[in-house]
Amino acid sequence: MAVISLPYRYLERLTRTDRKAILDKIALIGSDIERTEEDHADVEFFPDRPDLFSPEGVARAMRGFLGIETGLPVYPVKPSGIRFTVDPALADIRPVLGAAVIRGVSFDDESIQSIMSLQESLHWAVGRGRSKVAIGIHDLDTVNPPFHYIASRRSRGFIPLDFTEKMTMDEILEKHPKGRDYAKIVKDFPLFPLIVDDDDHVLSFPPIINGERTRVTIDTKNILLDTTGTDRKAVGVAVNIICTAMAEAGATIESVEINGSQTPTLAPAERVVSVKECSRLLGIDLTAQSMATLLEKMRFGARPEGAEKVRVQVPCYRADIMHDWDIFEDVAIAYGYENLQALPPSTFTVGKPHPVQSFAMIARECFCGLGYLEVMPFTLTNEDVLYKKMQREEKKGVLHVLHPISIENTVVRTELLPLLLEFLTLNRHRELPQRLFSVGDVVESCVTHQQAAGVSTHPDADFSEAYACADAMLHELSIACTVKESEDPAFIEGRRADILVGNKKVGVFGEIHPAVLNAFELEHPVVAFELDLRAVPGYPVL
Amino acid sequence: MAELTQNEKRLLATLEKEHKADAEHLASVMGATPEAVVQWAHLAGDKGLAGVERIVVKEFVYTDEGKTYAKNGLPETQLLRFLLPGTQLADLQKHEAFRIGFGQLRKKGLVKVEGTSVAKTPGASTDADEAALKKPSSADPKTKELIKRGILRESESVKYVISATPAGLSLAGQGLDLREETGTLTRDQILSGAWKTANLRKYDVSKLPKKAYPGKIHPYQRIIDEMREILLDMGFTELYGSIVQQAYWNFDALFQPQDHPAREMQDTFYLGETLPLPKGYERVKAMHESGGETSSTGWGGTWKEAKAEQCVLRTHTTSLSIQYLAANPNPPVKAFCIGRVYRRETIDTTHLAEFEQLEGIVMDEDVHFGNLLGILREFYHRMGFEGVRFKPSYYPYTEPSLDAEVYVEGIGWIEMGGAGVFREEVTAPFGIQYPVLAWGLGVSRIAMLRLGLKDLRHLHRSDVAFLRETPAYRKIQGGA
Repeated sequence: MAVISLPYRYLERLTRTDRKAILDKIALIGSDIERTEEDHADVEFFPDRPDLFSPEGVARAMRGFLGIETGLPVYPVKPSGIRFTVDPALADIRPVLGAAVIRGVSFDDESIQSIMSLQESLHWAVGRGRSKVAIGIHDLDTVNPPFHYIASRRSRGFIPLDFTEKMTMDEILEKHPKGRDYAKIVKDFPLFPLIVDDDDHVLSFPPIINGERTRVTIDTKNILLDTTGTDRKAVGVAVNIICTAMAEAGATIESVEINGSQTPTLAPAERVVSVKECSRLLGIDLTAQSMATLLEKMRFGARPEGAEKVRVQVPCYRADIMHDWDIFEDVAIAYGYENLQALPPSTFTVGKPHPVQSFAMIARECFCGLGYLEVMPFTLTNEDVLYKKMQREEKKGVLHVLHPISIENTVVRTELLPLLLEFLTLNRHRELPQRLFSVGDVVESCVTHQQAAGVSTHPDADFSEAYACADAMLHELSIACTVKESEDPAFIEGRRADILVGNKKVGVFGEIHPAVLNAFELEHPVVAFELDLRAVPGYPVL
Repeated sequence: MAELTQNEKRLLATLEKEHKADAEHLASVMGATPEAVVQWAHLAGDKGLAGVERIVVKEFVYTDEGKTYAKNGLPETQLLRFLLPGTQLADLQKHEAFRIGFGQLRKKGLVKVEGTSVAKTPGASTDADEAALKKPSSADPKTKELIKRGILRESESVKYVISATPAGLSLAGQGLDLREETGTLTRDQILSGAWKTANLRKYDVSKLPKKAYPGKIHPYQRIIDEMREILLDMGFTELYGSIVQQAYWNFDALFQPQDHPAREMQDTFYLGETLPLPKGYERVKAMHESGGETSSTGWGGTWKEAKAEQCVLRTHTTSLSIQYLAANPNPPVKAFCIGRVYRRETIDTTHLAEFEQLEGIVMDEDVHFGNLLGILREFYHRMGFEGVRFKPSYYPYTEPSLDAEVYVEGIGWIEMGGAGVFREEVTAPFGIQYPVLAWGLGVSRIAMLRLGLKDLRHLHRSDVAFLRETPAYRKIQGGA
């Protein structure tokens, strides 16, 4: 999530109202106030609204929402006469370029910080960590147009931002902090993207780092914006968001010529949407006029077309409008969620439990009746607990997660019993007897099913207790089965038994092997029982 | 006054004669162990009938070495006895006490070596040391010396002196019922009528017995069951399904773009397994690439089959909801699921890599966004939250989207879950023609509130004492 710092005085000047009026309503456009400080508020916005990642963008939206200035904001653009050439060799490397000239900026340390943080938020939300979009901002007056976006040999050098020595691009990837962070995006290409001016001065090595030469300072008056990437739509939106934010701050925007066409235009997109569809989706009665008025509050241009349609102009900075319903959500926000009628639907339906859960509840009831206490272990565990400590062979169908967070959580459980023994270890210092059970999911070869397991530990725990518990559970669940001596190495030979339905093993019980007790650092005898609940007659097949 | 036990009465009766005696003596008189007598005396003492005096006696005892010396004399004494004028050092060395004794003699200046012979110094005597050995006293520095040499050891023993108080004596004087007590009512007594004369022991109700711990449902499961019941009451069908899902059902069918950060290895648990795509996946592909036949633009770019075939541990139960809708595209559908979901999060007190999610969906001809608010308000009210409010939010597969907040006494408004209407990009590929209202919430958040948990891990790695102490029923007030 993007947390944006909003300095009150700047925000108040741009919004043309006081901070209280703004903060009272800001959550209603879709945000969370993280904290309010003496001179600023930190507010979190959602990733689908990168146009709100700057004080300028927030002010623009709040002017509309508070009724201070509604309708489509218009941003005039005139050609700068500046031209970019694009090297066709970039087609397989980083093909898309967007650019603009921003004139008449007046920076102080705070507003430079603000544009840098907008740039960083866009890198994250739109740029997918710079791989899809990367943005560079330059002091236009330090370089000479036309500019050239080229595929350069990797050994070419320049002085990167924050350094005083010339470095080759290969060295930058190795030594510059930004180079190390983003090397993975370009390192496999034979040639690297580079932006130079007509005198061959380097502006930027996208998406890694700018040159020191074009650093933006408080003396910068005119800006050249470069935006490169792999996705034309995303690059365009990033350019539009930065240009319109700067225009809100008082700058004028000029287009540049790329491959013969002028960009950006900052022109709105158009959609004609249905009033009826919107009314039905939101559950409110709308007319074309009321809908248009609500949309103007959200800074769309909107004009009724007859009684049933509204022609909507979508501001160029709105990255999130891809479907008519995206516009309808803005209608709902303008209308106010608090004003919607919250009524449950009227259709009559009958509730129906899932049989797997119903069977699980019966198993729980039986265990409780036998004096067992329920525990709910994690489903992620590791081979050591699941197999090694149990003296068991690893199950063929056990699932290994590809990138575990720790060595504790490498596989999905295939049994519950080892996890119950782990519980006894955790509770060694607690009063005996301890009788614990769990009913829950296990996974084998991508198939999920439920098992039930119980353990009992105290100085007199023996095979008979395990047998009695297993027998009671099997009886209560109406499982017709036979019992035969088991070879499960987790149990003591001669004190262990398999539960069979037909020839299929569906469970096991007995006295846990002392070597297993040692492995789990347990001091008292433990008897245990585990059952695959699919053995219950009438159990659903998934 | 609490009732006297039979043993307390017997003790008082004995003390009536003895007045004051040590526990050992009373034990032999009463035919019991001294420990038992002391225990009875304490019980009687609690009632002001007896006094127990604990006396610590310090004693000196001989070590094994000390025992020998007590009999034969200290090594230095033995050597002094052996010494005659002109005794040769070589002869003295043959004496068994030489090794320890000679050093002591030299240290105390009782002998001197002259050439090859050894002689006593004038007036040499170890009488004072022998006296300290025979009659040790803590005031005697010689005794301390013997302790240091490991010959004597200080030992403490505890003695209990028990007496009757005037109240105890007067009670005993009034005569005590010393008839044999019966602990257990037996079958024989019930059948024979012997119960009529039996002296059944009376229990002290102020004393708790050893605790009994019932088998119980886990407090967290209880909250899950409560939610389940509410949703069944509200007419919802329960869903259950696999933990392992194809990325296709977990992400793609929900219109989550293939380059979405939540799909990356840092956030989702991927498995090595893949599964073939279901029939009709091309419609999902078209939706991603170009918006299919809807008013949507889609995400653009190329949708890759291989990415959708990968298996993941489900990151939400929405993967089950969409499969249920795909199999049941006709209205009305009202379904819910409470199941474990997986996120690749670093585990700490408020974040787990696996947690329960509740999810509900409603699909019907005329349902709308306002109905979603209505269902949520009803659900939260039934969970005990009186104040419920909604605000705009963002979820990749719903539009419009909202977050629900509930008011909790003493805390304020807290976020309780997200909801929205499934995007048409989600429903259209499966031929679902009506709006689908969907909502989800983290069950553990309510559990933390209800159980006052500070650390979510305790839900799954529970202390048995916590489970035993948490009552099966607690009155819920203001949702917590």
